[in-house]
Amino acid sequence: MTVKNPGLSRKPRRMGIDRKRSLEAYIFLIPWLIGVCLFFAYPIFVSIRLSFSKIVSFKGLITEWVGLTNFEYIFFYDINFMPTFLQVVYDTLLNTPLCMVFSLVIAILINRKMVGRGFFRTAFFIPVLLGSGYIMKQLLGMGVDGTTITTGIMVPKLISDLIGPSITAVVQGFLDRITVVLWKSGVQIVLFLAGLQGISGSLYEAAKVDGATEWEMFWKITLPMITPIILMNMVYTIVAFFTDGTNPMVDYIKKVNFTNQQYEYGAAMSWVYFVFALILCLMCILLMRRHVYDSGAKN
Amino acid sequence: MVKAAVKKNGRKSKAARFTKSFLLRLGFYFLLCALSFIFLYPFITMIVKSLMTDDDLYNITVKWLPSQATWSNYDIAFRRMRFKAYVWNNVIVCGLSTLGHVISCSLTGYAFARYKFRLKNALFMLVILMMIVPVQVIIFPLYKQYSDWGWLNSFLPLIVPTFFAMGLNGGFFIFLFRQFFMGLPYEMEEAARVDGCGPIRTYARIMLPMAQAPLLVCGVLSLVWHWNDYFEPGVYINNPDYRMLPSVLPNLYSLLNQENHTMIQVNDLEGIVFNEAMLMAATFLCIIPIMIAYLILQRRFMEGVERSGLTGM
Repeated sequence: MTVKNPGLSRKPRRMGIDRKRSLEAYIFLIPWLIGVCLFFAYPIFVSIRLSFSKIVSFKGLITEWVGLTNFEYIFFYDINFMPTFLQVVYDTLLNTPLCMVFSLVIAILINRKMVGRGFFRTAFFIPVLLGSGYIMKQLLGMGVDGTTITTGIMVPKLISDLIGPSITAVVQGFLDRITVVLWKSGVQIVLFLAGLQGISGSLYEAAKVDGATEWEMFWKITLPMITPIILMNMVYTIVAFFTDGTNPMVDYIKKVNFTNQQYEYGAAMSWVYFVFALILCLMCILLMRRHVYDSGAKN
Repeated sequence: MVKAAVKKNGRKSKAARFTKSFLLRLGFYFLLCALSFIFLYPFITMIVKSLMTDDDLYNITVKWLPSQATWSNYDIAFRRMRFKAYVWNNVIVCGLSTLGHVISCSLTGYAFARYKFRLKNALFMLVILMMIVPVQVIIFPLYKQYSDWGWLNSFLPLIVPTFFAMGLNGGFFIFLFRQFFMGLPYEMEEAARVDGCGPIRTYARIMLPMAQAPLLVCGVLSLVWHWNDYFEPGVYINNPDYRMLPSVLPNLYSLLNQENHTMIQVNDLEGIVFNEAMLMAATFLCIIPIMIAYLILQRRFMEGVERSGLTGM
């Protein structure tokens, strides 16, 4: 540090306390700042530039500005993009709320004190170990899903005779979806568990003394207290579904990039795809913001 | 209303109340068992299938228990996927990148939780953006960058970013540590500072030992995610010597599909037709190491989750 004013050189090492603290913070942040610049901000910049241009030469990645051509191609010429994209959007919109509800219910169930707690907790985490990636994708592809719930419940034959095949198909589709969603909610369950444990037990005791039922306690204590986790989980789930290995859009982007080698087009497509995920996340945040419980721990 | 309920309960006999609570409990366990069956289903199918012989596979009546369990599938899968060579690749990459995440993300999370500095909010938005932007969006620029640096076909693109708090779900881990450190009392650091302890020593000697819970959660999740990731390794690594276990699987699967489609059963050197059972055995072999690691850490991981202080954002 150079001393700006030589007249004050009596205390040359004195810095404002805020500035000193600020400097300390940046020492801690150095690795991350380097990482963000090299592995995040710069690639994003390149990717955005690519999506508006055409590659002239791969050496040094010289590009030529072509404006919105790539995006035009996505929406008006590519016959694969829109159907795949809409399918993914539809799946995400359906799966995210389902995933939230089920993982919250399961987290509450295994949060109780009971016999075999360790076993159940391991069981619900097993799909995470099996991987969000290729293994799960193949197990799904081999028709493993669908048989799960139906063999468990064993009613469809009787009921399908009563209500007709079309409704049965809907019910069946719904059950299949739930199975897939459940397999993908391991991390969400863990996060909810963490949230449930963070709620102080004295709140429940006080409510019990006042004669509240468990049902009332859930709506008046548990749910409001874990709204922050719900928000975080929702964002996590949306992103996880969007980047999942079983997602056809991800495959398509990878194919365009590395098999067809249309890098500009791949970049443009992934931006369209990502912007939609971003809009969804922002919508969640805006919708939930009014309801999120603030413990006042922020500073 | 509450009073009425109490009265009603009071009038019931003790036996009736006992039966009611017993039935409730039974239903509760039934529900849990049914749910955990769904969760374990793919896992159980995989193990059962991997033990089947060729005959059992095509016999519809054999659904759950194979008529005789064979271990030879594992033997074949083990050799076919060069398990011994690839498992070390996985261990090295996962171990180092988990270490990287634990070190760098805890540092970053600490800075965001405990310091006030200029641009804090803007930089934290960047962390949130890291959580939201999927790697698919920037995969080509990254690929190009690594290829310019000569990092392709090595483990560097998978390991190095984690030491800078980037890489697989880096933003999520930063967030996790920030939440935890925000919940700790400030008196600790103040006392350390008064005693003349520098910021880095305060962090390493006082804050980090208290952060065992999130360290463990970050470690386990990072390990599991890296172990199963196949998107990035599949893009950066083409050299068969540097493959990771999950990226070997697609080849095996395509081998199977090929054989099924053409109906020409190509026998390899050992004269064995590659079938679904062997595939399942290979798949199971892939996750055995990470499963063992998880089962060892399971109890402490769950405790860590409970203490990671995620409430109160």
